[in-house]
Amino acid sequence: MKKDILRLGIALALFAAGACAALAVVYTVTGPTIAGHEREQLQASLKDLFPDADGFVEIDGSIRSSVPDVTVLGSWKAARGDATLGVAIRASASSYGGDAVMLVGVATDRRIAGARVMTLSDTPGLGANATNPSYFVDKAAKTTFPGQFSGKSVLDEFEVKKDVVAISASTITSKALTSIVKEAGAVGSAWLEANASGGSR
Amino acid sequence: MKRMWKIFVKGLVVENPLLMLMIGLCSSVAVTSSVSNGIGMGLAMTFVIVFAELVISLFRKLIPNDARIPIFIIVIAAFTTMVDLSMQAYFPALSKSMGVFIPLIVVNCIIMGRVEAFASKEKPLDAVVDALGMGLGYTWVLIGIAALRELLGNGTLLGARIMPEAFQPILFFTLPPGGFMVFALFISLNLWLKKKITNGTAVREAA
Repeated sequence: MKKDILRLGIALALFAAGACAALAVVYTVTGPTIAGHEREQLQASLKDLFPDADGFVEIDGSIRSSVPDVTVLGSWKAARGDATLGVAIRASASSYGGDAVMLVGVATDRRIAGARVMTLSDTPGLGANATNPSYFVDKAAKTTFPGQFSGKSVLDEFEVKKDVVAISASTITSKALTSIVKEAGAVGSAWLEANASGGSR
Repeated sequence: MKRMWKIFVKGLVVENPLLMLMIGLCSSVAVTSSVSNGIGMGLAMTFVIVFAELVISLFRKLIPNDARIPIFIIVIAAFTTMVDLSMQAYFPALSKSMGVFIPLIVVNCIIMGRVEAFASKEKPLDAVVDALGMGLGYTWVLIGIAALRELLGNGTLLGARIMPEAFQPILFFTLPPGGFMVFALFISLNLWLKKKITNGTAVREAA
């Protein structure tokens, strides 16, 4: 009996060791590529929000969310030479199908430079329309749901169905995404006020 | 050769893992809302089942019977993680749209079932052929279901617009209830196919 347990244990350990070695190899090969993709994607999104910027500096930890529902995951200062153009904030809030993550740019003139949905798991055809580039809340102007935030003042109300057009039949998603943009706008402009007051002039 | 062919084709219709054995249905309904997801999931799953069956079959004499299930899971999980990492590295968009369903291949009963019922008893070559048949049987069903669902539910195929502008997409088909309905449709289609095939062989044998 005792011998049996030992035999089973050794067999299991050998298979686990083999699997471990194989995985280590695959991980070492793919690891840098995966990290590279994430960096690239972030850089591309940042560049998308601030096309004029020539560099992005990560702000470590100084920007915190002021409301419990929204979490700030990261923030970057968009700079062109010595001037600060604005700040980009990656923040998440709980939405219909789990956490939604957005990247929101706040310009020094206290306006939203732009907003992008980074991660969203939602019902296809309903809430997922937030990331659909051909779903327009304003069909005439071809404005997408996140697109409608561009140029909005951070002092606006950000109230769904008042100054924000909701995605039809997806109130929870619309509200969650709007709350992210609102909070990012508030903390972003506060940071700009404190750290880059001369930047816009 | 004829024996090999028999092992291979049984996974396609007569013993199709999804439509006849009725295993691994959950993730199949979930990923088939678009054709690209269906292809990705089918290929990922085929890769894992081929290598899992090969390895288990190669080592079948070294696997103690009492510890076989944990060993199967270690082997399957290792290959699934490899697929997951490679997809994240080389097909980031696809990996993103499949989300949690790639890691969940580990607990897909099709692989576990074939490893237990076939690979742990048969020779490596037979196991690989069986795995290819099962994987292909899984993939064609996924692509078929996904094509119908994407066409009716979204008006597109592989993201390209097929239906005329006037066509109002029937959202129902993209949602889980529509998935179940299309699934049922494919089950009946497969039963009809099976009847044709088995009748054919019965007639040939009689003649």
